[in-house]
Amino acid sequence: MTSFAERSGKILVLGIGNEILTDDGIGVRLVDDLQAKCFSAEIVFDKGTVGGLEILEIIQGYREVLFLDAIKTNEGKPGEIYHMDLSDFLETSHLSNLHDVSFIEAIRLGRELGFDLPEKLHIFAVEIVEDMVFSINFTAEIEKQYPVILDTAEHFIRSMIEMNEPVESPV
Amino acid sequence: MRKITIDPITRLEGHGKIEIFLHPDGSVENVYFQVPELRGFEKFCEGRPVEELPSIVTKICGVCPGCHHMASGKAIDAVFGVTPPPTAVKLRELFYMAHFVHSHIAHFYALAAPDFVVGPTSDPAERNILGVISKVGIEIGTEVIKQRRIAQEIQALIGGHQTHVIMNTPGGVKKGITEEQRDDIVKKAEGFVEFSKFSVQLFKDVVLGNKDYVDIILNGPYSLKLHSMGLVDANNKVNFYDGRVRVVDTEGKELYKYSPNEYTDFIEERVEPWSYLKFPYLKKIGWKGFVEGQDSSVYQATPLSRLNASDGMATPIAQKEYEAMYAILGGKPVHATLAMHWARLIELIYASEHCLELALDSEITGKELRSPLGKIVGEGVGIVEAQRGTLTHHYWTDDRGMVKKVNLIVGTTNNNAAICMSLKKAAQGLIKKDMEVTEGTLNMIEMAFRAYDPCFSCATHSLPGQMKMELILKDLEGKILRTIKRN
Repeated sequence: MTSFAERSGKILVLGIGNEILTDDGIGVRLVDDLQAKCFSAEIVFDKGTVGGLEILEIIQGYREVLFLDAIKTNEGKPGEIYHMDLSDFLETSHLSNLHDVSFIEAIRLGRELGFDLPEKLHIFAVEIVEDMVFSINFTAEIEKQYPVILDTAEHFIRSMIEMNEPVESPV
Repeated sequence: MRKITIDPITRLEGHGKIEIFLHPDGSVENVYFQVPELRGFEKFCEGRPVEELPSIVTKICGVCPGCHHMASGKAIDAVFGVTPPPTAVKLRELFYMAHFVHSHIAHFYALAAPDFVVGPTSDPAERNILGVISKVGIEIGTEVIKQRRIAQEIQALIGGHQTHVIMNTPGGVKKGITEEQRDDIVKKAEGFVEFSKFSVQLFKDVVLGNKDYVDIILNGPYSLKLHSMGLVDANNKVNFYDGRVRVVDTEGKELYKYSPNEYTDFIEERVEPWSYLKFPYLKKIGWKGFVEGQDSSVYQATPLSRLNASDGMATPIAQKEYEAMYAILGGKPVHATLAMHWARLIELIYASEHCLELALDSEITGKELRSPLGKIVGEGVGIVEAQRGTLTHHYWTDDRGMVKKVNLIVGTTNNNAAICMSLKKAAQGLIKKDMEVTEGTLNMIEMAFRAYDPCFSCATHSLPGQMKMELILKDLEGKILRTIKRN
């Protein structure tokens, strides 16, 4: 785990999910692929499994965090991407772990306890088809959509890097 | 008949649904507890080298990966006919004690304490860990996060990763620890002991100091008279990692004590058409239905059951607290479901003390980490105590060690029948004729199973949108009469 000093001012891209549960591992695979595409000293890539209190330890000290996760909604289309933040938070598959506190509770707790939490939390959730069957392969629907999903995530991360770049002061 | 549905259940790992069927007069007829189930694990494992399983099984569940890793490690030892050297066993146990410390802290402060510190029928917006901290103080909240994190650090150090543990290999472990690392763990374990003592005292002050809570625990609709199961050492003391499985009856008399490889002689699983999850029961008694009492074949495998099934704790402070609990609750065995919280805290003390003992053990930094492999036996069983019940891994391989078949009985599955019965009893005791079913009533029904610390991650983690609790009252034709929603 990186030290808090190393995290200062940086962006964390955190893929969460279970890579042996069919589409559930999309966040983890995205991190694997994005790591090769979006190299930047300002970005740290990591993977996780569940949210709850552990999230506080993972995100402390970063300036901004992007969660990559799976989601299943009632009416979503496979591969559809939802970009959310705390204000319109919709539960994804792993950010809240019911053995633990919810994601929102964890963030509120961190703030209550005075933790150095990121200014911005983005949730990039992909509508998936199957997360109840053990497999290291995506469903055909998600596999087909994957290049578009990857491009969208890459584009989003590049925009985060640009926003993060310090503006040179006029001489 | 009307139907109440609680779906999904709050503060329960995984996602479940409770359906309560009401008579026309509003009294409870029956309760069904259902969870969806993950599929295809056995097929996923078939044809793989069996030594890969300890790393694969940590991905079944993000909540108790260490438990699966330990049961799996013991099962592959058996497949390869090998006994790990003392240092390897002690390192596995040291990791495992830290795993219990982190999990039991999370359960007590995030899941159990809100019901008692804030109140079972209090505003749900406050009935959470934040509400607990506002009552007990920010410094305690900081300590909860700190101790939990430290336990995770120990797991990461010994296990290679705090969640995706990779330490176990047939016949031992992959790496040891240095003297410097041991010294660091000693300091951390001393902190665990102090924090666990504090946590038990907090429970005594807040819960036992409140007559209403004591009344709920002892006299509310939360008792269930069933047999108790737990792993014990040679002295019949509670052991999380190794030993024999002991089952005591509803009066506390030993029914069975068996080695892991004998489990199929004692445990059988039953399928019910309304549930994806199986219902294990005591095979020699035979299935008698969802009934309490001495003739029942339903058993519990919980922290309280482990204490009931043992003759005590193997560490001094935990033993003192064990004796105090039984003295206050009227002797062994205890059948009060909510006393599981107390038992869990006594286990927290034991895990902390044993963590310290192991860290101080001269063999813990030994260099002999692995025994030479024996001939492949082709079958192996590993049993450990997971935080939420006895966990069994059973593997079959061919003569090259390639997996042919896998069977798991996970901790919570042991308690499936008991959870259904606890829910029914709580619902029948709390929902009376013609009464208005409030959110507080729903929460008190949920308390009946939350005490089990049930975890269905092994069985489910599909989430259809917002996490919420929904109660639906329906008439006989299925028309919705009223809906109560809680985020």
